[in-house]
Amino acid sequence: MALMITCPVCGPRNGYEFRYGGEDKGPRPAQRELSPGDWFQYVHANDCADGIQKEWWVHRDGCGVWFTTYRDTTVNREVPPPEEDA
Amino acid sequence: MNRLRALPTFRIDPARRVAFRYRNRSLHGVAGDTVATALYANGVRIFGRSLKYHRPRGLYSLDGECSNTCMQVDGIPNVRTENTPLREGMQIKEQNVVGSAAFDLMAFMDKLDRLMPAGFYYRSLHKPARLWPVAMRQVRRAAGLGKISPDFRYGGRCDEVYLNAEVCVVGGGAAGMSAALSAAESGLRVILLEARPWLGGCFDYRPGPSQDGEPLYRRSRELLRSVSEHPGIRVFTHSPVVGHYTDNLVTAFQTGEPGDAFDYRYIEIRSRTVVVATGCIERPLLFEHNERPGVMQVGCAQRLARTYGLLPGERAVFSVGHDLGLEAAVDLSDLGLEIACVADLRQDGHDEHLVTQLAERGIEVLRGWVAARAHGARAVRAVTLATLDGTVQKRLDCDLLAASAGLTPVVGPLTLAGAQMDYDAHTGAFLPSELPPGLFTAGRLLGLHDAESIETSGRLAGLQAAAHCGAVDAAAVVELQAQAAALPGPQRGSKLVTAPVKGRKSFVCFDEDTTVKNVRQSIARGFDIPELIKRFSSAGTGPGQGGIPGHNLPLLTAHLQGKPPSSFVSTTIRAPLVPVPVAAYAGSRHDMCKRTPVHDSQKAAGGVFRRMGVWRRARYFSDDFSCREEVRNVRENVGLLDASTLGKFRLHGPDALKALQRIYIGDMSKMTAGKIKYAAMCNDDGCVIDDGVVVKRGENDYYFTTSTARAGATIEWFRYHTRYDGWEFHLVNLTDAFGVINLAGPNARKVLEKVADADVSNEAFPFAAYREFTAGGGAIAVRAMRLGFVGELSFELHVPSSLMQALWGLLEEAGKPFGIRNFGVEAQNVLRMEKGHIILGQESEQRTNLLDLGLGFLWARDKGECKTVGEAALRHAENDPGRLKLVGIRMQDPQRAPKDGALIVDRRIRGYVCTARHSFTLEQAVGLALVEEPLAGIGTRLDIYEDECRGELLKAEVVAVPFYDPDGKRMRM
Ligand SMILES: [Zn+2]
Repeated sequence: MALMITCPVCGPRNGYEFRYGGEDKGPRPAQRELSPGDWFQYVHANDCADGIQKEWWVHRDGCGVWFTTYRDTTVNREVPPPEEDA
Repeated sequence: MNRLRALPTFRIDPARRVAFRYRNRSLHGVAGDTVATALYANGVRIFGRSLKYHRPRGLYSLDGECSNTCMQVDGIPNVRTENTPLREGMQIKEQNVVGSAAFDLMAFMDKLDRLMPAGFYYRSLHKPARLWPVAMRQVRRAAGLGKISPDFRYGGRCDEVYLNAEVCVVGGGAAGMSAALSAAESGLRVILLEARPWLGGCFDYRPGPSQDGEPLYRRSRELLRSVSEHPGIRVFTHSPVVGHYTDNLVTAFQTGEPGDAFDYRYIEIRSRTVVVATGCIERPLLFEHNERPGVMQVGCAQRLARTYGLLPGERAVFSVGHDLGLEAAVDLSDLGLEIACVADLRQDGHDEHLVTQLAERGIEVLRGWVAARAHGARAVRAVTLATLDGTVQKRLDCDLLAASAGLTPVVGPLTLAGAQMDYDAHTGAFLPSELPPGLFTAGRLLGLHDAESIETSGRLAGLQAAAHCGAVDAAAVVELQAQAAALPGPQRGSKLVTAPVKGRKSFVCFDEDTTVKNVRQSIARGFDIPELIKRFSSAGTGPGQGGIPGHNLPLLTAHLQGKPPSSFVSTTIRAPLVPVPVAAYAGSRHDMCKRTPVHDSQKAAGGVFRRMGVWRRARYFSDDFSCREEVRNVRENVGLLDASTLGKFRLHGPDALKALQRIYIGDMSKMTAGKIKYAAMCNDDGCVIDDGVVVKRGENDYYFTTSTARAGATIEWFRYHTRYDGWEFHLVNLTDAFGVINLAGPNARKVLEKVADADVSNEAFPFAAYREFTAGGGAIAVRAMRLGFVGELSFELHVPSSLMQALWGLLEEAGKPFGIRNFGVEAQNVLRMEKGHIILGQESEQRTNLLDLGLGFLWARDKGECKTVGEAALRHAENDPGRLKLVGIRMQDPQRAPKDGALIVDRRIRGYVCTARHSFTLEQAVGLALVEEPLAGIGTRLDIYEDECRGELLKAEVVAVPFYDPDGKRMRM
C-alpha cells in the first residue's frame, strides 16, 4: 500500500489515503434473470492480472471520490493508461 | 581509564560525569558516551558471550552491526549498547552468560564445535520426534540472547511523525550534506536522515586533509553549519533508516536526545526523490579467532580515540586492506598508541604519502601480509601474521588488532527500493547497476575515497534529484557531471576473501557463530548459493542481519567453489534494516475517541463508559451491570438514553431516490411525508449490513439513520454501488452535527409535552410518524420520530449537537415528577432483546442474510429493476435449506442465562446464542439465537454448551418472539 495514487480531484497522494475497490468489471448487470453462476462471476470472480490492471479506488481519507486507475500488479505501482484505453 | 586530552573531534564532554550501574558496581562515563564506550572506559573488554559457543565478545564496530555488545539496559534485553547514549542512572547487565561475561560457565561450549556442524539442530534433533521438546529446552537454555520478562512494563515515551518532502537524503556524511544543500538551494523541501547522533560521517573524526588542505573534520563542521542554517533542510540525527517502500516511502526511527519529548520516534517520509549516501562499513577480515575481544575494526579503533577520547589499547597490530587503515595507523600513533606493525593485504596501490608517514614514525608496513590468527583465551595477546599464500608467518605481541579486509557499501535502502545489484569488479563490492526512478546515490558507497569527489558526487545527486522534481534544468546537471568526471573516481577495492587458514574458528557471522568451516560444510551438503547457506548455517539471521556477513558470504561462497566473485550476489535485505524497539512502532498510545454532546451530563449522572467503535458511550448507570433498575424504570416510568452515536445522513438531489432504491432492499418510492420507513441494507450476498429509518423531508430530500458502526462507511457504500451510473445526488454525513435523545417509557409523552412547542398527543403524533417542531419556546429545532426499539412509548429526538445539552437539561427537569432517569446501552440491549428487536453484528454475522433474520418482509420484490444490492443473492438463497435461522429461546432455569456466543449442540454444533439475559420484566432467562433450520420450530428443545457449564448442558426451548408485549400495544400508547 506504500504506492502513490492519483486522485482525479486531489492529484497524486499517499496510497494510505485510498481504499481499493476491486477490478473494473463494468456496470452492474440486470439482476432479474441472472443465473447464480453469472452473478457469482460478476460479484466475486476476479481476473487477477499479472501486469497492468484497471481498477477502482476511493479517496477515502480525502475527497471521497470513486475513480478508476491503472496499476501494474507486478510492481504495485500506478501506471499511465495503456494506449488502447487512453 | 584516562581520556585523551581534549581533541577538536570529541563528541564527549569529559567534564560532565554520568553515573551508571554495571554488575552491581557504580561506574561513571561522561556526557556524550554510548553505553559501550562508557563500559570500555571502565576497562570492560568482554561485553557478552556468543549465541552458540559462548565465546567472549567485545567491541568491534561501534555502529551496532553485530550483537557482540548487546546487553540488558534498564530491564530491556538485546539493547545495542554501541548505539545507545549513556544516561544518568542506567542499569546495565550482561546477557546469555552463566556467571559473568568474563568468566562464563558455559564457555566449554566453544570446545564442542566439532559436534555441532552447520545445520546441526536441523539434522540431529528432529528424530525421534519425542526427543525434540527435551532438546529444544536444552538448546534454548544454552543458546540465545537476552531474556524477556513478561512482567516488564516499558515506561518510555514514543512519538511518531509523518512528513512530505521533495528530496530525502539518507546519510549525513559529507556527500549527504552536500546533496541536501544542492537540493535545498534549488528551493526544494529536503529531509536529511543520519543514523549517528551527529552529522559528519567519516569526515567527522578524521584529521586527514580535505581538498583545500584543512582537516576533514573541520570541513565536515563547515558543511554542518551550512546545513543547519538552511531553512529548507530538516535534519533528523540518530535516525537510522528502517525501510524503503514503493514510490519512495522512507521509514526511520529516531532516538531522542535529553530534552526531547520522546525516547523513540517513528518517522515516515513520503518523498518524491531519495538520495542514498549511506557510505561504507568495513568488510570483516576472515582469520582464526577474528572476533576475539581486542580485535576491532579500524574505524572503531580510530573513533574510540578521536570521538570518545579512549586509546583503544596499548600496543597494536594493524591488518588492513585500504588507505583508511594506513591513515588510522598514522593518526593513532600520533595520539600515543604503540603500533608494532601494519600488515596491508594489498601488494600495491597504497597512498605512498601515508606509507612515508608511517615510515617516519618507525612503523613497518608489510605489503601482501594479513592477520592469520589472534591468540589469547579471553582477549588478544598476540597475533600471527602471514603472507597471503600462508608460506611465511610471524608472531607479534599486542593487545589490539585493528583488522579490516576493505570496505562494504551500505546498500540496504537501495536494495529495498528495488535497485538491481551486481558485483563490481573494480571496487569488489555489490553496487547498483540500475536504479528505480527518483532514486540517486552519492559518496563513499560508490567507492569514492577522494574528499572532493565525495562532496561533488553529493552535490551532483542533490541536483539530479532537483532536476527529477523539475526544479532545475538538465543543463546544470550535465555541467556538474563533467566536473565530477574530472575528479578521482572509485578506488580499487581489496579482493581478499579469507586469510590463508582452514577457517574452523574464522567467523563469517558473529551473531550466529557461523564459521568459514560451516559455510564449507553447507556447500558440501549441496547448499551452494548464499540464500541456502544463510538458511542452513543461520549466517546473517541474527540481530545484526547482514551487517557482518553480508558482503563476505557471497564472496566466500564463490571462493570455496573456485568460482569468480561475480557468481553470486548478497542475500536479500529486508526491512527493518536496523533493530527497532516495538514501542517505537506502537507510538504515542493516544486513545482517540469521540464523545457525545452530553458526555459530561451522563458522567455526572454516574455513567460507566465503555469504548464502542470510535465512541465512548455510557454503558451502565450503576454498579449493577444487570441494569435491573434502569430496565425497570423504562418499563414503569420514563428513561433517557443518549443515542447520538447513530449515523445520520441527508441525501438530496435529482437522483436521490434512485440511490435509495439501489441501496435499500425495500421500496423507497412509496414514502410519504411525516411517516417513518424502517429499512435495511444488504451486501451483494444478501447479508444484512445495516438497518435504520428513512424519512422524506421534501422532494428529492431524505434524512436517514444508520447504525453506529456503519456511519463511517455509508457514503463510500452509496458511492461505490452507484459508481457506474453518473447519478446526481449529494450525501451529507450529519452524524456529528446532530445529537439524538431517546425518551422512552409510559411517561414519555408527559415529559415531552412540557418541553415541546407542539401537540405530541397520540392523535397528532402517532406511532411510526415523523414530526419537526421546536422545543424550549422556539429555541431548539427538533426532528422527532415515534419509534419503539425498547418496546415502550418512545420519542427519538434529533437536535443540533450544540443544542443537545440544552434539550437534555429541559427533559431531565421536566421529567423529575415522572421518575425520569438515565439508562445506558446495556439496559437498552436488554429492553430491545425482550422485544425481539435485533442489533446487527449481535444477532447477525457476516453470513447472516435478511431472510435468516426473519426480516424478509422488508424486501420489496415488486419495485422494478433497480439493480438493488443484495436482491439477486436473496432470490438465489430463498430456497436454500442449509441456513441458520434467528429464533427466540427461553431457558429452563430462569436464573441461568448463557453467555453471548454460547454454542447450541447436539452431537455437533447446531448454532449459537446471540444475546441472552435474565429478564427482570418477565422473570425468565430469554435470548435470541441462530440455529439450523430444522431446530427453528417453536417448542424445539435445545442444549447449550458454554465454558462454565462443566459438562452439564444448559436446557432451552424455542419460543415465539417478542417475549414482551407481543402485540406491540405499549409502543403505540
Ligand atoms: Zn481526492
